[in-house]
Formats: sequence, structure tokens, C-alpha cells
Amino acid sequence: MTTEGGGTAVPAIDARALTRQYGGVTVVRGIDLTLPAGSKTALLGSNGAGKTTLLKMLSTLLTPTSGTFWIQGHKVPSPRVARSIGVLGHSPMLYEDFTPLENLRFFARIYEVPDAEARIEELLRRVGLWLRRHEQTAILSRGYHQRLALARALIHSPAVLIADEPETGLDPEGVALLDEMALAAPGLTVLAATHRIDHIDAWATGVVRLERGRVVEDTSSVAPLTEGATA
Amino acid sequence: MSVLMAVVGKDLQLAWRNREGWLSAMAFATIAVLTYSFAFDLATGDVRPLLPGVLWTTFLFAGVFAAGQSFQDEVDDGTFDALLLSPVDPTVIFIGKLVANLIALLIIEFAQLILATILFDVGLLTPQLLGIVLIGTIGYVSLTTLLATMGGHVRGRSVLMPVLALPLLIPLLIGAVRATGASLGLEAGTGPWMLLLMVFAAWSTLAAVLLFPTAVEQ
Amino acid sequence: MNALAILLARVYEWRWVVLPPVAGVAMMAMIVGALVAAPREIIEGEVQRLMYLHVPSAVTMYAAFGFTAFASVMFLWKRDMRWDAAARGSAVVGVFLCGMVLATGAIWGKPIWGVYWSWDARLTTTLILFLIYSAYLLARSVAGPLDEQAARFAAIFAIIGVADIPIIQMSVRWWRTLHPQPIVFQTNPALPGEMLIVLLIGFIAIFALATWLISLQTDTERAAQRVSALRAEVDHREIA
Repeated sequence: MTTEGGGTAVPAIDARALTRQYGGVTVVRGIDLTLPAGSKTALLGSNGAGKTTLLKMLSTLLTPTSGTFWIQGHKVPSPRVARSIGVLGHSPMLYEDFTPLENLRFFARIYEVPDAEARIEELLRRVGLWLRRHEQTAILSRGYHQRLALARALIHSPAVLIADEPETGLDPEGVALLDEMALAAPGLTVLAATHRIDHIDAWATGVVRLERGRVVEDTSSVAPLTEGATA
Repeated sequence: MSVLMAVVGKDLQLAWRNREGWLSAMAFATIAVLTYSFAFDLATGDVRPLLPGVLWTTFLFAGVFAAGQSFQDEVDDGTFDALLLSPVDPTVIFIGKLVANLIALLIIEFAQLILATILFDVGLLTPQLLGIVLIGTIGYVSLTTLLATMGGHVRGRSVLMPVLALPLLIPLLIGAVRATGASLGLEAGTGPWMLLLMVFAAWSTLAAVLLFPTAVEQ
Repeated sequence: MNALAILLARVYEWRWVVLPPVAGVAMMAMIVGALVAAPREIIEGEVQRLMYLHVPSAVTMYAAFGFTAFASVMFLWKRDMRWDAAARGSAVVGVFLCGMVLATGAIWGKPIWGVYWSWDARLTTTLILFLIYSAYLLARSVAGPLDEQAARFAAIFAIIGVADIPIIQMSVRWWRTLHPQPIVFQTNPALPGEMLIVLLIGFIAIFALATWLISLQTDTERAAQRVSALRAEVDHREIA
């Protein structure tokens, strides 16, 4: 499923032959991937299969050894890509010395989010941190770190969310929040690595399975049935 | 522009929140001056010939040891990745760290100048000397901030930093010591030394700014 | 460009055939020339014969470090670890040559100046270069042979180091001359013909030797990279 031809929407993520070597080992090997806009894809595979490496490449943190990819039709590297992507990595990526409010204010400023204060309040309330917005992030529990990380990832309303085991540390209420705000949120393209197979049915429209750096199963190109995306 | 201000503000705020690290650097600098006082018997006679050397070796060592910590914290928290992911230009990330380190080190140096003025009864707080300290500090902070990004995963990093930084900074040391000496009346003109300092400051800052994006790419 | 690269690669393949005999013959010629054929210098005596080793070593040292910087730039551009191996290889030889320059300088200096070290501007700059490139090798070797990020940092350090050299030379010279100081070391302005010939042979000898050693050391680094890659591949297969 490609960008050419009339009537087909631009895929959110379009990757060709992505390869990454680390110190002589080929961790990710010639991966092709096409994720339609608005689709929700679960990235599966055992430890060491290359999921984190693939996600890091797609989020532009890691440069591929070879291969190219497009995010929303922009070929990476491109200055437009950063605003389109939200990332929930292994680490929450938060300033431990700042308060939740200060964290979100900083990220809102560097992403140049319009009407920042309102957006920050909205997010903090939804993740349940509004009343704790002046506490130091370092003292928050793992679960609340993850919730704040979720707010950080979504603060600039990205079109694409790339997540690496986002359910980690979240209680059932937190997971429901994650589904509502991200994984199952309409219009948001999601690629999330996960080990929670039982949870996939709640949000995923497709699955990509990696083994030893290669794609062994790919049902991601099934277009979602939500409005706004053409099949 | 407001993004630049946001990043610089963030680094200044972080430096303040983590001020224990900088206070340790301040303590180290003070102890260094005292150590030199005993080692070179600075209690008697005219100490002015030795003062420029004492001050600048103290400043350089404090700067080299302290440079790494702010980067390390961001790498550990994962926020360095968050910055690289954001639309922010890597150069802006560097400038933020540079400004924060510069201000912190200038404060430490100013405190040492006050201390030395009192201990050695020498007038060190002249505008000329302060100007020399400012330009000299800019010269070495750029390189040490750049080299600090290299430390991340290397064992024995704290010992390696001075080994890497100090040979590169010898021209700065020469220029700064001579200029300081000249401003204290020890030799004829500050002219050539100020030129050396300014050339070095310009070169090191330019090199660091240009090479930083390559240094942090993964 | 591609034709040039192919040509250079072919020339490079011939190095084992060409370099050892050239270096060997030239070194022997240099030794014979330096010890026997060249005339005895009137003022400085036999010690002056060290010049045939000292001066070519100094020039070749700069060439080696220049190559390290060049290889570093190529590495940052092409991201090919072979350039990292080449940079390390020439840095090792450069540091060795640097040590030679300092040692011969000290041995030469003792009878002439009365001291092993006189803080002469050129020698002092050489000492600083020795420190910079030793630091480069130290920092690079702390990480593994295939650590790309460490290689990138080392390459940046090498580039800054090379860019710093002119500034270091200028500042050390000012340090020595703008301060009242007896000038103790001068190169002989005009060398007689026989000395020049031996000196030229010396250049060829040291240059050939250095090129040979650099290619040897580069191959060693490449081998270390391959071993590291094999180990990583084996580990990866065992786990996955």
C-alpha cells in the first residue's frame, strides 16, 4: 500500500529495507513496513528480536545502517517529522528535578504548543496529576511517571505515537487511561511494542511480529474502520 | 528564539536545582587555592608572579571536573533523548548547556577572585582582569562542554576528562596566565595575550557548536 | 572518483610487496649515510648525526597525525569503521614517531645545551602533541573496537586536536619569545650537499617505514574489529 495513485491516503509510517547493525551484529534486517494513517499496530517479538531498535529508528533517535522511511509522507530526516511523532520509550524521559507542571511547560514551549496552559491543565487532569502538579517528579511512583510520560508524549498532539511497552508500571486504571488517550484514540496512528498479548484485542487493528530482526508476520496494512482514513 | 530561551532557562533551572554539584566544584576550587598557598608558600613576599598560574590552574581543573555532570544527569533521566526527538536544533541544546556551565563557572571564579584578593592582598577585581577571566572562561567552557558529551558510557570518565581537555587548552592557559600577569603589572602588554585569548575563545566555541550535532547523533 | 578509488585500492594491495624492501633498503642507506658517509659537523660533533633521525621523524609524525585527522573526517562522513581503524593505526605510529622526536631531541640536546630539555618551542609543541594523541588512543581504547559512538567521539577529538595544533604552536612560540629568554636552539641554516642527501634518504626511509607500520597497525585494528564482530554474532545467536 503506497502513496501513489488516487484515493489512497498517505501512510503514517512507510519503511523500506530498514537495517541496523551494532558492533558487527545485525539487529534489524531489511524491514519493510507500511502503516496506514489511523491504524493501531502491535509490535510483537521475544526479547532481542529487534523491537526496541526498530522503534528507536522509526522515532528518529537512531540512524539506520541502511534503508529509508517516511513519516506522514516526509522522508526522514526532515524537520517536520519531530512534530508529528510522540514517543513513549522504555524510560519516561522526564526531568526528575522538575515538577509535572514544569516538565509539561518546558515540552510545550519547545514544541511550540498553542494555548499551552490550557492544554497542560487538560492533560494533567486526565492523567490524575493536576492536584500533584507542584510536587517533584522524582518522588512520583512508577505508575505516575508513566502517566506523566504519556502526557509528555501527547502534549503536541502528534499524528503518530511510537511506544515501547507502554503498559509497564500502570495499574488497570492507568491502562484504561492509556487506551483512551493513546492506544485506542481515534485518528492517532499507533505502533506499540508490547508483551501484553491479552490486552491487544482492546486496541490493535493489526500485528507485526519480529523474530531475529526480521518481520515474520504482518497484518498491519488492514486499514482501520474509523472515519478519516480511506481504505 | 523563544525555544532558545526555553532551553537556556531549563538548563539554568536545572543547574540551580542541582546546585550541590556546583557547590562541590566551588569547594574544590577553594581547597585548590589553599593547597597552592601551602605548596608554594604564598604567605610571604610578593605572590603576584605566582598568582595567575594558581588562579588559572584552579579554574581549569574546576571547569574540567564539573563539566560532565549536567549532561550525565540528562542522559540518565532520558531527557537528552527527549530533546533530540523534539524539533529543537541540537545546536540550541548545546548552547543551553554552555550558558548554564558558563554562568556557574563564572560565579565560582568570582568567588575565588574575592578569596585570593583577601588572602594575598592583591587587587584582583579590576574590570580588566574580570574581562580576561570572562573571555578565558568562554574559551575553555566550550571545549569542556563538548568533551563532556563524550563521557556518557565510558568507565573512568572523570579521570579521562582532564587528560583529554587539558592538552587542548594549553594555548588558553598560556594566554590567560600571561594576560592576567600583565594586568597585575608583571609584564609589558596584555595585547598579544588578549588576542590569543579571543582567537581561542572564538575558535573553540565555533568548533564545539559545529561538532556537537555530529557528536550526539546515534 | 570511483576509478581513483579502485586505483588506490590496487596500489594498497601491493603494499606488502613494495614497502618492506623500500623501507629496509632506505633505512640501511640512511644508517650508513648518517654514521659513515655524512661529514662530521664541526660545532656539535657526532651527536649531530641524530638529525638524520630527528628531522624526518618530526615531519613524518606530522604527516601521520594529519592522516589521523583525515581518516577521522572520512569516518564521520562515511560511517565506515575501516576509517576508524586507519585513524587509530596512524595515531599509534604518530605517537611512536613523536616519542622518537622527543628522545632524539633530548639525547641531541644534552651535549649541546647541557640539559635534556630546554623548553624550546618546537619540542614543547611536540610534547603537547604527544599528550593529545596519547589521550586520543587512550580514550578510544577504553571502548570496544566496534563501538561506533566511541569511534565518533574519538574522531571529533582528533579533528579538534589537529585544528588546535597551529594555535598551540603560535601560543608556545609567543610564550617562549615574548618573555626574555636566551635562544638556545637553531637549525643550521645551510647544510652541505652530502648532509642534504643523507637527510633526503632519511626522509624516504622514515616515511616508508611509517607507511608500512601504519598499514600494519591498521590491519591489526581491522582484525580486532572482526574478532569483536564474530564474538558479538556468536553471542547473539546463542541468545536468540
